Order: sequence, then structure tokens, then C-alpha cells
Amino acid sequence: MEFKLQDLKKDYSDKINQAQNLEELDKIYLQLFGKNGEITVLPKEFGKLSADEKKVIGPLFNQIKQDLEKSIEEQRTKVKEESYKKLSGEKLALKTTKIQKRTGHLHLATQFKKEIIDLFEKLGFQQFDAPHIELDKYNFEDLNIPKDHPSRDMWDTLYIDTGNLKVEPRQLLLRTHTSNFWPRLMEQGKTPIRAMSFDRCFRYEAVDARHSHTFNQFEIAVVGENITMANLKYLSDYLLKAILGKEAKSRFRPKYYPFVEPGVGIDCLCVFCHGKGCKICSGTGWFEIAGAGMIHPNVLKATGLDPKKYTGLAWGFGPDRILMLKHSIEDIRYFLEGDLDFLEKY
Amino acid sequence: MKVSLSWLKELVNIKLTPEELAEILSLTSIGVKETTPDYLELDLTYNRGDLLSLRGVAREIAAVTGSKVLFTADSLTYGSLPSTTVEIEDEKLSPVEAVAKITGLKVGPSNPEWTKKLNDSGIRSVNNLVDITNLIMLEFGQPLHSFDAEAVENKTIIVRRAKAGEAITTLDGKIRKLTAEDIVLADTQKPLDVAGIMGGKDTEVEDSTTTILLSASLFNPVMVRRTSKRLGLSSEASKRFEHGLTKTNLLQAFAQAIKMYESLGGKLIAINLVGDLEDKPRSITLTQEKLNNLLGVEIPAKQVESYLTSLGFHPKGAPSNSWQVTLPYFRLDISLEEDVIEEVARMYGYEKIEGQSLKDEKIPEINQSFYNFLYDLKVDLKDTGLTEVQTYSFYSTQVLDNFDWDKKNLIKIANPISVETEYLREDLWPNLIDVAAKNIRQGFSDIAIFEIGKVYGPNKDHPSEDYRLSIVLMNGSDNPILELYQIFQQAMSHLRGEKLQLHLGGGDRGEYEKKYFHPKRFSFLEENGQSVGGLAEVHKRYTDNFGIKGRVAVLECELKP
Repeated sequence: MEFKLQDLKKDYSDKINQAQNLEELDKIYLQLFGKNGEITVLPKEFGKLSADEKKVIGPLFNQIKQDLEKSIEEQRTKVKEESYKKLSGEKLALKTTKIQKRTGHLHLATQFKKEIIDLFEKLGFQQFDAPHIELDKYNFEDLNIPKDHPSRDMWDTLYIDTGNLKVEPRQLLLRTHTSNFWPRLMEQGKTPIRAMSFDRCFRYEAVDARHSHTFNQFEIAVVGENITMANLKYLSDYLLKAILGKEAKSRFRPKYYPFVEPGVGIDCLCVFCHGKGCKICSGTGWFEIAGAGMIHPNVLKATGLDPKKYTGLAWGFGPDRILMLKHSIEDIRYFLEGDLDFLEKY
Repeated sequence: MKVSLSWLKELVNIKLTPEELAEILSLTSIGVKETTPDYLELDLTYNRGDLLSLRGVAREIAAVTGSKVLFTADSLTYGSLPSTTVEIEDEKLSPVEAVAKITGLKVGPSNPEWTKKLNDSGIRSVNNLVDITNLIMLEFGQPLHSFDAEAVENKTIIVRRAKAGEAITTLDGKIRKLTAEDIVLADTQKPLDVAGIMGGKDTEVEDSTTTILLSASLFNPVMVRRTSKRLGLSSEASKRFEHGLTKTNLLQAFAQAIKMYESLGGKLIAINLVGDLEDKPRSITLTQEKLNNLLGVEIPAKQVESYLTSLGFHPKGAPSNSWQVTLPYFRLDISLEEDVIEEVARMYGYEKIEGQSLKDEKIPEINQSFYNFLYDLKVDLKDTGLTEVQTYSFYSTQVLDNFDWDKKNLIKIANPISVETEYLREDLWPNLIDVAAKNIRQGFSDIAIFEIGKVYGPNKDHPSEDYRLSIVLMNGSDNPILELYQIFQQAMSHLRGEKLQLHLGGGDRGEYEKKYFHPKRFSFLEENGQSVGGLAEVHKRYTDNFGIKGRVAVLECELKP
């Protein structure tokens, strides 16, 4: 048995050292360690050995097994490194070549964004995006969410490690909503404002089928003289009918967001059951779709606009969720995990 | 908050079914998360602290259903009694402190009525003496604390800042280290209670307790919140303190609590109320003009007055179609005219507001060319046969490990959800390689994808974030960069604005380019002589790490407004 093991070691060590590519090494690996590999089946013969022989053969077997595994790994690295060296012999050689015929796709969110942006451009809205990495001031303070206010708990926030930056700790964060665009635009003082943003936001949230730490928001903000809740109602219905069909309509409920007053939650008549009640609307005939309201005077003030002169409205929602409802997408992770089977469906 | 329906019916006339009640509340007052025959669970908001009490909910229901509350506001009356010893170190900690000494008590189980009220509210019955404080908190929203008088040194209650290094074992058995930013109730020797959050173990009411010191305070909401956050300890009490409480309500709650102890055979033998006990009346001017302008509907003056009155406001007519509106003491969330307008609007009924389109106005122009460019570029790439991918703004551990990525310059998250969200991406292509590998495992052999998105990097004082385009191509050939370059050329030629005028550029490779890319198949991309990106075959070392067998070409370049 001892000789048999030594022979095995020698045979395979030679084979391994002569292997020129990874495929050969994979083959050798299987010959040794596969289901019926020589090393795999060998211990079955140990039963026939005497106790004394076992004392010698056991440790030897283990040693040889380890050695072979190690030399395969080493040879793999060697083969790879040699193949990497050969790369230097290749050329860039940028010559004209044919582009293969493929059917391209825009991401579902890009298509939806375009649809909504076009819709609001017709009403004179313009895009204005704000940074993802944001100061506490624009994400919270200017939006009437002071430090130490309980309403801060409404946003589970990811903060930037400011160790290497010249910024106070907890002053920089990943914005929790697109609403940081309002103060950034409003402080420019160019009124009236009719702006929108469809962009990425972040929350401290574990990922599952329904939740993600990274998601899109679409938001509009209007500031001017005599902007009213009746305007808010009009814009709500305008958007809902356009994206969910003529039957859709909005309903306001009182809801608290620190940056609006009055603040409303917006329900949409459930277009999936025509308001009769189904699983999607939890049997109520309406499903919650957006948050909105009249821009809080403290927000206007913080950005240098006179709340006596101006009023404003704002409306925001999560397009990802609407896309999930519209297309019966069961898992929000499909949006950002690059599954081509999924992306090529749209 | 769970609101017991049978208890609620003791406080307000309700002729509606639980479902009807829930519907009205959610359309005019507050969301209802769950409706059962026994209770409604309210979706409490951070403004309406007054609804953190049964009486507050009862008042709201009376207003929105046109009904009446069944309770009266009892004042605290007692004869000539000795004073308990009470001190407030600093009014900032609590403007008032009330302490009553009640004796002749016997600990036992609560009666079934109390137990049901607690159960419906989701709170466990402890014993009769402790249950009273919880019942009062639920009904009035005012947390109280009862101490075993024997365990309080010199029968003295002091409201003070904790001393640095001071510690207390709370009711849950944990030792809490305190700082001078925390408020405590203390006796002459030791802290008794982490103020507004949780009582101390040493002075807990025990089976042998016969005399209690009943304490009521109005702790500073911000300080309670900070302590609660720091200790990671929040309670039904701390929630209520954080929202803010009133003196008027404290006195009513205190009076009712004493009555309940008396109903158990207790006798009030000493009492002391320290501090200014009156809530200052507050008022706001409301004008008809502002109301109409903000809502876009005209609500008759009489109706405005009637809505406000039913909610406990006192509108008094003032010149030029306005009112001086005195606020109910319990509505601490109201501080501006707009807040009062919201009250009128929800009583009027949001469903009655008819949509009105925006007026034609000249809007100052915001340059849209970059937004349009990004979209046009996406369409061109799609038309060239590429599929758009969007990936997370983070590098996963898989990407960091397989690329042996240098984290030194990455923007780091201070409180990541997990290691998967600890670092923000500084390039797009590594995530696209990860996406390519995943799809190859799913059986794809031809990968032609792109992403346009932001990358994040350090800058002097504020991190920078910039748009990039990245394309990844694996076409089965052993030099995919050829086709990738053609694709890019073609997509660029379609861009009408000629925004992207990129050329292959020279220059020496840095460590980064040497590490990640093919030694020969690499070129910088230049725009106006400036390097803005690169075109390369990913070094086999790294595609090997992802288990990708074929050659993979990448392109990445900056997109500037």
C-alpha cells in the first residue's frame, strides 16, 4: 500500500507539473478528487490493513492528499501567471470590425422616467437633480426637520464616514429622498419654480423582495404666488391617469411630513380591481401611492423665500413600486442586480 | 398605538362600527393600521402628540364625528396637607414636578376591568399599584412614576442632571451609565429613575409596598430623546415625553391617579407641586385670504369657525376677514397659520377640493441639455444593441475581493447596513463585470451592457460625485475591444449635439491601469486633450477571479454637464 501511494504521488506530481493549461488541471483534479477519483476511493482499501499498517498508511495518505492538492493549486497559479505573461505578446490592433446584431434595451426605470418627464415637461416642468451625497442641511435642516426632533426617526439614514474629509461627523449623508433638490433650487431665488427630479435615494434598510437600501424617487416642486392645494389635486390626477389609466384618480388623506403643511398622503383608486377591493389594495379599493402637500413656510424661509408672498406644492412617489405593480414584478432587487433575462423583457 | 374600543366608549359617544370609525379617522385625522372588534391601532405621526392618549383620541373623534366627549377635566383638590420634599435643580430639565405621598396601600392583582383596558392597549398588567400609572399614561398621555417610599432616602425627590459616572440599575435589570446630559429623579443619595425613560430597580414597587411617592414631571423632550438614543432604550413613556406634554394635562392626570389610589384604600398624606403650573395661552392670526389662497377653495367664515370650535380652538373675529384663534392647550403641534389652515381643510374634507390646473407663467429656465444628453446617449447605446443595466452605488464584498480593490480612496459609510454597503463605487465597470459574471452563470454567452450613473470619490472637503458611462462587452472573440470600439464610435456618431468628442489618447499608464488591464490592449480616452476615461481589455487575472472564461472589454468615461 505504501508503494502504491508513493507511485500515485509520483505519477500525478509529474502530470500536474507538465499540465499547460487550466483545463488539464481540472481534469487531473477530477481524476484524483472527483466522485470516483483515485484519492477519493483509496480509503476503501484501508479496511484490509493491519492495525500497525494503518498507523503508517493513514498519516502518509493524508500527507500525499494535501501535497497533491497543493501542487495542483500551485500549478494553476503558475499556468495562469504564464498565460498572463503571454498577454504582452498580444496587440490592441484597433481595426474596423463588424458590430454584431443585437437587440438593445433601456432599463425599465429609464423608460418610466422618460414617460413621466415628458408628461410634466408638457406642463412646463424642468428637471433639477441634487447630489446623492448630501449635507444634513439640505436633506434635513432646511426641510424643517431639526436635529433632535422625533421626526428624524422617519428616515433611517446612511451617514458618510467623514474621517478623511474636512467635514464634521454626521454632517454628510446619503440623501434619504429627492426632496433635497427643493432647498438647493429654492435658495437660488429664481421664482416661480416648476421643477422635478427622478433620481436615486438611499435608506438604512435591509434588502428583501419589497425593500431596498437604494431606490428611485420622483418628485415635483412648484413655488409661486397663489399655488394652491387645488393645483396639487389637479397634478395628482394628471399623473395618476397618465401612468395608470383614465380610471385612476387621487384621494387625499391627512399625513404628516415635516416639510409640508398641510401634508397629505395620496391614495389612488385601485385600478386593478376598479375600487372593489383586492389583494393589491388590501381590500380597501384604494392604494397609497404618494406623499404630498403644501411646502412648509419654514422651508421657504430657510431658503430665503418670503412665505407671505409665496406658496408651494410638492408631490413625491416611488416609481419602483409602481413599476412592480404595473408589471407584476415580485422582487425589487430585479431593478439593480443586472439580471439580463429580466431586463430584456422590457 | 392600540386604542381600546370599549375604553374609548367610556370617553366619547360613538355610534359607528369600528370600520366606519377607522374610515373617518383615516380620511380626516390619522391613519389606522389595524381594525379589530377590540381595538384600533393608530398609525401615529410625529406631530400629533395629543393622540398618544385615549382622551386625545376621544376629543378628536368627537370633533370629526360631531359627537361629544363624556369626560370632564377634574382639577386637583386636597385639604391642608404637609408638603413632600421636592426640588428642581434647573427649570430646563422640567418646569414642574409634582409628588404625592400615598399610604395605606396593598399590592394585589388589578381588577378585571383594568386588566382588560391594559390588554386591549397591548400592555401587560403588573399589579394594581403599577397598573394605575400605566392606565393614566394611556388615558392622559402623561407618564407617572410610583416609587416605594421606603426605598427613597429622606423621602425627597430631586430633579437633577445625572453626575458623570453615575450609574443606575433600571427595571429591566440592566446597569445604565449616565452622563451630565441625562436627567434623573434622585433622592438625597442616589438616582432613582432615568427621567422619562425607565424607573430604577431599587425603588420599584414590591409586594410589601404600602406607601408610595407618586411623581409627575414634564421632562425636557430633547434631553429625553438624546438619552433614549444614547442608551438605545425607548419606552412608552419616553415616546410621550419626546412629543411634548402640557401642565394642564399633567394636573388632570395627577388628580385622577390619586383618586384611583384612593379607590384602592390609599390615603393622600402629603403633596407638593413645584413650578409654574399654568400653560400660557397661545393664539394665531388666521386670515380668510391666506386660507383661500393656500387651499384654492372658498370656505364660508361661519364654517371655518365651526370647524375650529369643534376641535377645541377658539376663533375670535378680528378686522379684515381674519380671526384671532386661541389654540387648545393640548395642540402643541400647532404653531403657524398654515397649521390652523390644515385643521380647517381636513374638517372641510379634502375630497371636496376640486383640481385646478397651474396658471400659465414664465418659468426661469433651468438648463436641461445635460439631462437630455444622458437620455439621448442611452437611446443611442440601446440602438447599437446594448442593454442598459443599473447597479447599486456600492461595491459588494465580492467585487472588492475579486478585484483586490484598494479601499483607500473610497467613500466609506459610517453606519453600513452590512459589509455590502460599506463602500461607495468609484468606478462603474467593476460592478458591470460582476453583472456579466452573474449572467454568464445563468447561461449567457454574449454580454453587451452599459450603465450610466454616478461614481463617488474624495475631494478636498466634500466628496465629489460625477456621471460616468461604462460599457462591458464579451462577444466570444479573443479581442472584444475591437467591437466595443466600433459600438462606441457608432453610438457617438448618432449623438447630434456632438457632446462627446472622444479620441484615443496616449500617456503613461498608472499603477491602476497596469494592475487591472491587459498590458497591450488599453488606451486612454481623451476629450480636448484631457484624459476622461479609458478603453481596455480587463486583465485576465480578474476575469479569472470572477470565473469568466472569455475575454472582456470595458470602456469607461466621464460625462460632464
